[in-house]
Amino acid sequence: MKRTLIFVCICLLAGSMSDAQQNAPAPSPIAPQAPPPPPAGPSRPTAPAQAVVPVPVPIAPPKPNGPVQKSLVRITATSVEPDYKAPWNSGGIQRGVGAGFVISGNRILTNAHVVSNSRYLTVEREGDPNKYPATVQFVAHDCDLALITVSAPDFFKNMLPLKFGGIPALESTVSAYGYPIGGERMSVTTGIISRIDFQLYTHSSIDQHLAIQISAQINPGNSGGPVMQNAKVVGVAFQGYSGDVAQGVAYMIPTPVINRFLKDISDTHYDKYPDLGITYSKLQNPAQRRFLGLKDDDRGVLVSTVVTAGPSAGFIQPGDVLLAIDDHPIASDSNVELEGERAEFQEVVERKFNGDSVRLDVWRNKQPITVTIKLYTPWPYVVQAHRYDVRPRYVLYGGLLFQPLNLDLLEAYRPTDLRLRHFFEYFVVEQLYLQHPDVIVLTNILPDAINTYLAPYRGGIVDEINGKKVRTLDEVANAFAETPERFVIRMIGDGPPLVLDRNKVEAARERIKARYNVLKEQNLEEQPVTKTPEQANKT
Amino acid sequence: MQKNLFIVSGILLAGISGALGKKEPAVPAPMSTQKQLALVRVNVTGQSYDYFRPWQKKAPFSKRALGAVLSKGHVLVTADLVANQNYVELERAESGEKTAAKVEVIDYEANLALLEPTEKAFLDGIIPLEIALDTVVGDRLAAWQLEPTGALLATEGLVTTIQMTQYPIDIGQFLTYRISIPMQYRENSYTVPLVKNNKLAGLLLRYDSRSQLLDAIPAPVITHFLKEAEGQHYRGFPSVGFSFFPTRDPELREFAGERGKNGGVYVTNVEPRTPAMKAGLQVGDIVKAVANNEIDQNGNYVDPLYGKIEFTNLLTAHAYSGDIVPFLIQRSGKPMELNVPLEHRDARDYVSPPYNLDQPPSYYVLGGLIFQELSRQYLKEWGANWQREAPQRFVYLDRFQSELFPEGNRRVVILSQVLPANSTIGYDDLSYLTVTKVNGKEIKSLGDLAEAVKQPIDGFIKIETEEDPKQIELDAAQVSTEAPVLQENYGISLLHRLD
Repeated sequence: MKRTLIFVCICLLAGSMSDAQQNAPAPSPIAPQAPPPPPAGPSRPTAPAQAVVPVPVPIAPPKPNGPVQKSLVRITATSVEPDYKAPWNSGGIQRGVGAGFVISGNRILTNAHVVSNSRYLTVEREGDPNKYPATVQFVAHDCDLALITVSAPDFFKNMLPLKFGGIPALESTVSAYGYPIGGERMSVTTGIISRIDFQLYTHSSIDQHLAIQISAQINPGNSGGPVMQNAKVVGVAFQGYSGDVAQGVAYMIPTPVINRFLKDISDTHYDKYPDLGITYSKLQNPAQRRFLGLKDDDRGVLVSTVVTAGPSAGFIQPGDVLLAIDDHPIASDSNVELEGERAEFQEVVERKFNGDSVRLDVWRNKQPITVTIKLYTPWPYVVQAHRYDVRPRYVLYGGLLFQPLNLDLLEAYRPTDLRLRHFFEYFVVEQLYLQHPDVIVLTNILPDAINTYLAPYRGGIVDEINGKKVRTLDEVANAFAETPERFVIRMIGDGPPLVLDRNKVEAARERIKARYNVLKEQNLEEQPVTKTPEQANKT
Repeated sequence: MQKNLFIVSGILLAGISGALGKKEPAVPAPMSTQKQLALVRVNVTGQSYDYFRPWQKKAPFSKRALGAVLSKGHVLVTADLVANQNYVELERAESGEKTAAKVEVIDYEANLALLEPTEKAFLDGIIPLEIALDTVVGDRLAAWQLEPTGALLATEGLVTTIQMTQYPIDIGQFLTYRISIPMQYRENSYTVPLVKNNKLAGLLLRYDSRSQLLDAIPAPVITHFLKEAEGQHYRGFPSVGFSFFPTRDPELREFAGERGKNGGVYVTNVEPRTPAMKAGLQVGDIVKAVANNEIDQNGNYVDPLYGKIEFTNLLTAHAYSGDIVPFLIQRSGKPMELNVPLEHRDARDYVSPPYNLDQPPSYYVLGGLIFQELSRQYLKEWGANWQREAPQRFVYLDRFQSELFPEGNRRVVILSQVLPANSTIGYDDLSYLTVTKVNGKEIKSLGDLAEAVKQPIDGFIKIETEEDPKQIELDAAQVSTEAPVLQENYGISLLHRLD
């Protein structure tokens, strides 16, 4: 038994090794993903700036950061990426290298994207030839942070836990540590704090949090490494632009986000960020301010949309003006002042946890009111985010593959269908989730005699089956579990109905399963992949 | 050497045709009729409307083409050539003599136009082209171009396919000849006639120089156009207004109540206010025959000339607006006959008009906010890849217009862009929004908007949009006082143009 397991492991590692060796001297498929370029109107396309100006070498920090080698670890993760095009398969096996560092309590902090979808983790430390199997304790995909630990009893003995600092000042010098391409051992790069702002975290590609831009070089393999100043961690390196988009633009996760993560998991469960679930517009137009009966005091933002599935529903209305949040006045450009720094007013919510409350001073119908909102995470946004450590849900019936629409599905199939893209794009703001909690797409057809004429239906969104509206994938599975003579599937739009003869499908099921090597005809649960790290560690 | 060879071959040809004893001229026809070649050069200068700055026209373009001289002093060209023209000029190939011409009839959908010289005698001496309706797959057609000297340049090509395709204005399907032909570039190549036995067989629609494939507007479509053009009012090609799907799938056939192996197409959608709707066609019907021609499971009928071809040809090439065409349908297993009174569907009858040429776009400038009506012509300003490049929300509204606005009889008013001005401070990032209400009144056209802005609420103009920010307010008095400055700064000759 043991031997088999080892054999499997070696096989997988070797496989990915040979892959990586062809491309780069050091295998590090985990690359900090570049945020997508800012959306630009088609009428005014913006060419990416190609800076060719030499960057001056930053001055070395005045104080050394101490023996960071005693805190830094190199993390090698073997992960299995779900295959949305063949969801019954386990998916492609990849290996990547990232960094992490020891913090108090025998824990190692790193990026979520270093350990996402991982099946096997090892960590190494400087000056120690051993590879130590590690396990994920907590992972927060919405802020790209994770905690892992090593069970080997002596691992943490000679390690120095790092301490956290605050938000470093603009222009102050920082050093980034990690294992980027270019060599095997620890690398240090320095730079200055360039900008402190809200940024999109590309790991989930929907969450925006505070992020700090630094001019230190960060490359694939730096992910999860500490960024230090005066012997304290001021951030975790996590993403940057690739050289052909912008140069010298790298980001780190600042300590407020890290501290929030550590506080959130102190109850042994990660609860995610809460969100107000609203969209809003700046209130900078004098006429609009006067129309709303506001003073000429540069305060307030206009609520445009309230997400029904969010905590503000019933408390906030479109057309409301938000004047203050927890007594912090909101400026007309949507900023508040927090500890002397201007930040997007959402930052107040960012620092809270699910179940906390937030108080809003609201201007409604020219009257001031106050509302208190108990915060939670509105679920529909999950459809528009990258997801990890989940199994794709699907139903395969008669060779027809039905899958719920989400970002990962969209990226796997890259459909050009306008209707699909519309349902994805407007899923939250047009509250399409109310009618379609799952947008069920007929994504693929495994050809068989019983479905040979059905190719034109591919890409359609299922509206009803046998006259019954279909809202979730479970309802699709339930519909097919019934025993009518035929199934009449109506798609949204004016296409023809898709008709299946149940007896013919039943007769073909095993044949299709065997022909296409389908292990399971459906997966309705997105439950986290059950990991057996203990078992793996024994090998 | 070459000259000698040519003479030899000429003699040979003469000998053969003589031996065959036909009445055709002994020498190749184009050479003998060079003096009266039924081709004129057509020089067009035009200006398209600028939908991004709808108060003005774009820089002038000029196109040079060839026109086919037809009877009654008419010159046939493509509509594409003369769309948005300012000045059309005809030029005799051999003498270089010129005259102005006017566009008599134009059909953008069939891509055909008839020109008439202002000087009646201009075409004297030219024997007009007759029309050859009998082209079939395997025929060879000659593309007629002109050398700079005025001499004929004839290139022969093979008709490889005859089928229904979409023309540049993507409404419906029209018969098209596809010809494999190595065309050469000459200056007046925009519209090129295709000729069979000295008769007009088609007009160049598009040419792909890499694959050397040419699509031609065929003689039957030209004849239809000419026949319609003889009438008092040009009505255009008829449209029926339903979508269909093949019935090859046995499960779908059975569901629709079709037991046998017969043909017919499944009706998936019937558009409101169209002939199909008026005749009582319903979703789920199976159309079995059109104008007494049986149609198969894919929607083809057997044409005496072309063999199997899509039944829409029966409606575009063979039938005319005003005709009543019998449809044999099957509803829930029972046969029925419907009489469909054909009509042309005008571009203005769509919610998002598919084209708008030779007419200025309407717009309304209000304190730096520019309002327009959504149309495909507007979306096409994003270029050949407009379906990907244009604002996707608008492409979606255009594509699914009959589903999203089944009531029809309206436009979608959009806030297309914002010109920075004092009244639009804070709004300058807004663009591509759809307007739902102005001052509390529903907006279904720019005319509605023009009326609604006249009634401000307490001195404010309130504009509501489907998308965020959902509401925009302007100071009505400021808008009026600022208007002259806005016009001056951005060179806006007129603040609004309505239909």
